[in-house]
Amino acid sequence: MKPRRIIEVGLPRLLAWCLLGFLFVPILVVIPVALTDRDYLSLPQDGMSMQHFAALADWSKGWLPSMLTSAGIALACAAIATVLGVAFAVGAWAAGGWWPSLMRILLLSPMIVPPIIYAVGMVKLWARLSLLDSYTGVILVHVVLALPLTVLAIGASLSNLDQRLVQAARSLGARPMTVFGKVILPNIVPGVAAGALLAFVSSWDEITVTLFITGRAVVTLPRRIWTSIQDAVDPALAAIATVLLVITVLALVARALVEQRQRQRKF
Amino acid sequence: MALLVIDDLAKTYDKVTALTGINLSVEAGEFVTLLGPSGSGKTTLLMSLAGFTTPSKGMISLDGKDITHVDPEDRNFGFVFQGYALFPHLTVANNIAFSLRVRKWEKAKIAARVTEMLSLVGLDNLAERKPRELSGGQQQRVAIARALAFGPRILLLDEPLSALDRMLRETMQKELKRLHRETGVTFVYVTHDQEEAIAMSDRIAVFNHGRIIEIGPPRDLYKKPSTRFVAGFLGENNFLSGHRADDDETMVEAFGTRFGFPLAKSREWPGDSLTVWVRPEDIRIGQAIGEEVGFRATVVENSFVGALERILLRTATGEQMVATLRSEAAVAALPGQIIDCRIDPSAIGVLPNETSGL
Repeated sequence: MKPRRIIEVGLPRLLAWCLLGFLFVPILVVIPVALTDRDYLSLPQDGMSMQHFAALADWSKGWLPSMLTSAGIALACAAIATVLGVAFAVGAWAAGGWWPSLMRILLLSPMIVPPIIYAVGMVKLWARLSLLDSYTGVILVHVVLALPLTVLAIGASLSNLDQRLVQAARSLGARPMTVFGKVILPNIVPGVAAGALLAFVSSWDEITVTLFITGRAVVTLPRRIWTSIQDAVDPALAAIATVLLVITVLALVARALVEQRQRQRKF
Repeated sequence: MALLVIDDLAKTYDKVTALTGINLSVEAGEFVTLLGPSGSGKTTLLMSLAGFTTPSKGMISLDGKDITHVDPEDRNFGFVFQGYALFPHLTVANNIAFSLRVRKWEKAKIAARVTEMLSLVGLDNLAERKPRELSGGQQQRVAIARALAFGPRILLLDEPLSALDRMLRETMQKELKRLHRETGVTFVYVTHDQEEAIAMSDRIAVFNHGRIIEIGPPRDLYKKPSTRFVAGFLGENNFLSGHRADDDETMVEAFGTRFGFPLAKSREWPGDSLTVWVRPEDIRIGQAIGEEVGFRATVVENSFVGALERILLRTATGEQMVATLRSEAAVAALPGQIIDCRIDPSAIGVLPNETSGL
């Protein structure tokens, strides 16, 4: 390789790999830690052990219930936030004018207001409505936090959609619900799916507000992790991180495979 | 009785008048074009006909029934959009079948109708394509087939050819004429292109500043416009100033010559100052014979534009006029030369100056 080429191509490439390494190597450390044979956070010393993974599966240890709790809350939150997000985004898109822009700013405010401030406010409100430490209370809060994400994702999808499609459908005899179901919705599926996924993930790892409004009854996974860090540094933490890491990698691989298959079908 | 009657329609948006005093009747099977510059109100009228815009005043009736406030989905009018607005997620066949599924037709009937529409617009082998896989002309055909599939009484078309290139536009003009003939559907067509309007329409309504300036068959509007605006908007035209002859009020003096009023009623116009118009193609070279009006003019410029030669002339009054001549007739017209020109008196138009503002 000529020296000039090394500077122009090789150096940026090396930098890019260094950056990637900086981002991902620390994450990978959890894998050996999860396999430790000790009962505190450490690298394996005398051999590898699966005991911490086994502990995850043990119902009485509390990891599995809180995973189910989190999954349930995240699913409910994703469903509600997606329905509301679609309703708002489509309505604003079809109506046009000044008020949708104003509403959009209001809806995006949970993203702008620091979560800690929001959390303090919610404790007061939920205490009065006796929704503290209830599933309904947590889901509602997560929905509010997820709405900006779904509205943005669905809005982005809609901005590429020709407004005249609605007029075209109406001139062909379609009533508003048919226009929505047969014309608008099929064209924004990617945005709706992205919005639902973002809502799910945001609820799945929400901790700040959840800490304030839950106690003993509702224990989400982030809350369980938080508690366990406080009283003992349990290697089960590393095990659960490993499980989540594997799930994420599998999801990404699956997505890549689906995309590749779609691309092949197109040509 | 006319199929569609528009009665004193007006539309204002926050003090801006988009349409005012629109009266128009459309007969069943007619091809009516709404022609005008952009912002003249023609599209607003089309949108009111479709039901997408609610008029501020006036009435639209179909078969004598008031439809001014009927929802677009209940009007049964086909609409072809500028830029087509095809459903991107549906195949060509499903785009065409959309209106039939909405109307809950039987499956077999839908399939038959889709096949019929596809062959009507010549797209038989593209039924399973998605709109993005089609060329502009093909998308246009799908849009027309989709709008005609459910058998609308009226097809509304909003500048459907403006996105196509010149060659394709001419093909599609013929295609639209053929579809109009074969289906017998009433067409209301919006365009700003006067050539398109002249080539296709039974009647043209010329719009300007939210009003209909004139309505009539293309030939009448071209040959006998009664306003300066229409005389200038349809085809190329030379406008020259003229006045009543001092010694004979039945004569007009203009561009260094004189002639009798070409239109009988023009004598009633007030004022002595007049606007005279002459189409470039009506000016010929040579000594006037018989009834012809002769005048002398200086050749300023001579340019070859294909089949015809365009000659820029300066008249004895110092005004410029354009003449289009066949090349062999134009050979003698060299820049700087003074030549004899002649015009058939029936080809000269005279308008009162008062209307020049319209």
